[in-house]
Amino acid sequence: MALLSETDRQIVREHLAGVQQQVTLLLFTQTIGAPETAALARQVLEEVASLNELISVEEVNFVLERDRAAQYGVENIPAIVLLSNGEDTRMRFLGAPAGYEFSSLIEAVTLAGTTDSRLSPDSRSLIAANVTAPLDIQVFVTPT
Amino acid sequence: MARESVQIRASCIEAIEFMELSRKFRVTGVPKTIVNQSTEILGALPEDEFVRSVLGLPDADSSPPPS
Repeated sequence: MALLSETDRQIVREHLAGVQQQVTLLLFTQTIGAPETAALARQVLEEVASLNELISVEEVNFVLERDRAAQYGVENIPAIVLLSNGEDTRMRFLGAPAGYEFSSLIEAVTLAGTTDSRLSPDSRSLIAANVTAPLDIQVFVTPT
Repeated sequence: MARESVQIRASCIEAIEFMELSRKFRVTGVPKTIVNQSTEILGALPEDEFVRSVLGLPDADSSPPPS
């Protein structure tokens, strides 16, 4: 059973209309002993991918592909890494993106689908002038 | 912000699913943003304020906060 109604699918499809590059949703999970949310994460991602030809889902086994997990700095699962034309966008989701997090996921997919950060000119200037070392931003959210 | 700079990585973390992380950063309300495992930003801020807070800059309209 689909998570999204047909009306919702159409709305999300319209939101994703701006995607112009290949977006890969890398889902890090495991086959045995995976948390329940991993299955939900997979379902959400597959449903999003079904709405746009440029979006695909690739499942990576966290236990068997340790090198790849380390490459993307993944230490917990389920984890979603967004790639744009195969390159790391440095955007991550930890946990199944349900509820309010779903709209953040769609926003992130749209961002991954173009080269535009959609930030204001002021924000861009501030970042260009002040970011001289790695910045790790972790935003804690809940579905409701 | 991650899209704007290769130095920036942004993670959206489901607080209830990752209790150990939530506990580590004393997340009692969301959204809560942690920058480089130390700076804390509570709540949802407008873009300009958020970017300045993440970058450790004072607000555009106010004088620097007392240290």
